[in-house]
Amino acid sequence: MADTAVDVHHDHHGHDDHHHGPTGILKYIWSTDHKIIAMQYLFTGMLMAIIGGYMAYVFRMQLAFPGISVPGFGQVSPGEYNALITNHGSIMIFWVAMPVLIAAFGNYLIPLMIGADDMVFPRINRLSFQVFFLSVIVLMASLFVEGGGFGGAWTSYPPLSAVAEYNQTNLGSSLWLIAVALEFVAFLLGGINFITTLMNSRAPGMKAYDIPLVAWMIVIASILFMLSVGPLVAGAVMLLFDQTLGTGFYDPARGGDPILWQHLFWFFGHPEVYVVLLPAIGITVDVIATFARKKIFGYKMVLYTAVATGVLSFFVWAHHQFIAGIDPRMANVFTVTTLLISVPIAEMCFVIIATLYGGSIRLTTPMLWALAFMAEFLIGGVTGIFLGASGADIYFHDTYFVLAHFHYTFFPIAIIGSFCAFTYWFPKMFGRMMNDTLGKIHFWGTIIPFNFIFIPLFVLGMGGQHRRIYNFQHFPELATPEMFQLRQIATISLLIMIAFQLVFFYNMITSWIRGEKAGKNPWQANTLEWTTESPPPHGNWPLDRMPVVYRGPYEYGHPDREEDYWPQDEPA
Amino acid sequence: MANAKPLATLRSATGIPTGRLAVWWVLASEVVIFGGLLGTYIMHRLGHPEWAEAASHTQTWIGAINTFVLLTSSFTAVLAHQAAEKGNGKEAAKLLGFTILGALTFLVIKSFEWANEISHGYTITANTFWSFYYTAAGLHALHVIAGAIIMGVVAVDAYRGRELHRVELIGIYWHFVDVVWIFLFPLLYIAK
Amino acid sequence: MSGNNEHNEHHDDGHGGGHHVNYFAIYVALVVLFLISVAGPEVGRITGLPWITLITAFGIALVKANLVIDNFMHLKWEKRLMKWLLTTSVLLMVLMVAGISPDVLNHEGNNWENLAAKEATARGLGGDDHGDGDHAEEGGAAEVAEAAPAGFSAAGSFGTVCATCHGAGGQGDGPAGMALDPKPANFTDPAFWEGRDRARIVTVIRDGAAVVGGSALMAPWGALYTPEQLEEMADYVMSLRPN
Repeated sequence: MADTAVDVHHDHHGHDDHHHGPTGILKYIWSTDHKIIAMQYLFTGMLMAIIGGYMAYVFRMQLAFPGISVPGFGQVSPGEYNALITNHGSIMIFWVAMPVLIAAFGNYLIPLMIGADDMVFPRINRLSFQVFFLSVIVLMASLFVEGGGFGGAWTSYPPLSAVAEYNQTNLGSSLWLIAVALEFVAFLLGGINFITTLMNSRAPGMKAYDIPLVAWMIVIASILFMLSVGPLVAGAVMLLFDQTLGTGFYDPARGGDPILWQHLFWFFGHPEVYVVLLPAIGITVDVIATFARKKIFGYKMVLYTAVATGVLSFFVWAHHQFIAGIDPRMANVFTVTTLLISVPIAEMCFVIIATLYGGSIRLTTPMLWALAFMAEFLIGGVTGIFLGASGADIYFHDTYFVLAHFHYTFFPIAIIGSFCAFTYWFPKMFGRMMNDTLGKIHFWGTIIPFNFIFIPLFVLGMGGQHRRIYNFQHFPELATPEMFQLRQIATISLLIMIAFQLVFFYNMITSWIRGEKAGKNPWQANTLEWTTESPPPHGNWPLDRMPVVYRGPYEYGHPDREEDYWPQDEPA
Repeated sequence: MANAKPLATLRSATGIPTGRLAVWWVLASEVVIFGGLLGTYIMHRLGHPEWAEAASHTQTWIGAINTFVLLTSSFTAVLAHQAAEKGNGKEAAKLLGFTILGALTFLVIKSFEWANEISHGYTITANTFWSFYYTAAGLHALHVIAGAIIMGVVAVDAYRGRELHRVELIGIYWHFVDVVWIFLFPLLYIAK
Repeated sequence: MSGNNEHNEHHDDGHGGGHHVNYFAIYVALVVLFLISVAGPEVGRITGLPWITLITAFGIALVKANLVIDNFMHLKWEKRLMKWLLTTSVLLMVLMVAGISPDVLNHEGNNWENLAAKEATARGLGGDDHGDGDHAEEGGAAEVAEAAPAGFSAAGSFGTVCATCHGAGGQGDGPAGMALDPKPANFTDPAFWEGRDRARIVTVIRDGAAVVGGSALMAPWGALYTPEQLEEMADYVMSLRPN
């Protein structure tokens, strides 16, 4: 069956007994197949990444060359600058990292990896994407209404976010808040599917410790999300009422408290970063096992530390509020817990290093991304320790040091993690191999400029550069030529990085159309998704040949075997 | 339109049927939503003794009637579950119907209560106590409405002898809605 | 489908089979408890012991909730995992309240006090008969202006808001203005006033200079001032105009 540019999702009709859904173009809109829903999330996330990246381009140009008319945007006014940084942050976290890492890869991989034919609630799955898509529309609308997009930062602290007179974006701020709330609902719905499917619908013979770590991580992340988002949903309703009805939930003069919002936000906000981190670690670990041809050094260790990290993540939230006027005694408590949480993550790093040691390393593109994840995230994690110490944070808070820290963590998570997963599972999803040379060019063209963007920002942060400032010319001590030079290095590196993304898109499209056919298991991996067609048909396997599992997912390099891998579904 | 149920739905590695497992997870997330809102209210209320005056205007007897209505509706819901377990879909549908009637009664009483309070000037912006009152009870009422609608769908199916296991599931959700009110009642009406 | 015993297994429901619950008895117990909880405040009032109210209200709520959860929701017979899950959710809420209370419940602590909250409390306890609070329908700008206890002063506001760029004397020589291009306006320079009138000054303060074709470096400040205060600011700037 010849591939055309349009009909890219093969449906292998034939001997399988699964009932087919709608046909034609409607298939893609109304489908309940987890793989199609995953694609919908994936491409929406990719589109949002382009939009979020464009926003970064615009505001970085303004920062490096203040007052300039930015090509492709125009002159940036202060209000627009605020809207750009606010929406860049919100988009990257809520509309790129979560949909790609959790919704797209979770949806795609979990049923395949556990040997199921679909998620347990396919229609709720479809509903979750529809709600998510609605949230995208609402968010985009918020940018074009009168007054412009919300500019109160992704953290949306009141009273700025609560009072239209202050934020001057009456409609925009409410639409932004509604978009975020809708996104939360979409992920609550999706989470139910992931958790229930993993817990219940495993193939016969698949015990808990036979589940690939990436599936575990996505589910643990979903659990974390479901348990932490509740108070913020309540808080967001209260903020929406403050904005639209004039209530005083966050107004101290009327019995409210703005610090309450901060607490509610960060009670969710901190577990949220682990919600996106754990899937990225899961992806990295799985890819490393495959391309080191070696068992994960400590499967149970990784699993238990992921759970421990999740639990601990509920106890650290106020480190975002050290200088917000919280009780100093609480600051002491949160410093201790924050420093503690670096321990399980470090332990996972050790497991990865130990896995690599003595392995038979294959430096494919996905492997490069996985290794880069570890290296870059390490820098991010280590700089977090400075910030976790409340004394040091008095200086660092709201400087670019914080910003560089979280980009050294978020970029590996959202971007490196996504590219790692995409390049690894592309053959399964589209039935073709991506060009490895182009993949490596794209890799280096992303990683090297990335460091040249954010290391200058560490330096600037230590020099006292504040966040969320539209024009540093207004601050003579920050307007020195040396500082501007650093800003320009960062911005030009961003331009280079953006240019190299074109290599990725070219690779993706040409591979899709005429890449080398992939076959079932091009990487010689063990997990169940590699035992079916590429791409898998509706129902994943014929109903009479659903997989049965005999061993764990990482049996590489087993001494008794001639092959250096041992698929999970091969009888002993 | 819909595909046949996937094979995945029928497996149960935990021993808990998939539908029920999902409902427990939904409840867990609802606990933190309502817990967040009610916890916030409690902290503010304890810190603002001057709200006692505003709070004194909630009408305990209306709240009490509504509590009784919800308790009774929980009772009919669990009887519906009992009937469904025996395979008696028509009986289950009838009992679910009573439960929905209870929900509607609750909502009607609440509308009168709120109309009364608003006409006396106790609006959502009158005082932050009232803001919490309407937000908390309103969020609860939204869950009552949603529950009643889903219950209606389940009842129609049950009447036709289909998907009887869902009677238990909507029942569990309904009992949760009752439990939230069990805590809202003392918070907003008794120990105000 | 036969039989009248309560636990006819039509589906593998994972219940530890054979639980026999008298739902009606539970219901009666719930109603009785409910009646006690309603009567509680009366007893508390009569005996003058407020803790009776608390116990009857919340203690009974806990008991009732447990009865419903265990028996109606069948949590008593459910797999342990689900009990752990729900317990965890509740514990997380306790953690949340414990972590937030020191800042929100308390209005003072180690080296800090929440003046606005204390004032709100004092107002509520001391004054209004209706307990309908304060500033019910006011907009934000008015509240900001009123939050300054000493009342509004255009000269004072100029000093805090404008002088950083325009200089204490409005001569365009403020410290933050040094690096700007174009430089901030010098209100004492006659050349500045050519073609500019009071109406334009009001517009620029409120909406920023870009709307009248000037530099976006002069940001809009309208959010800080009521219309009356805006007029006062414009008067102040006019007062700097030479002759």
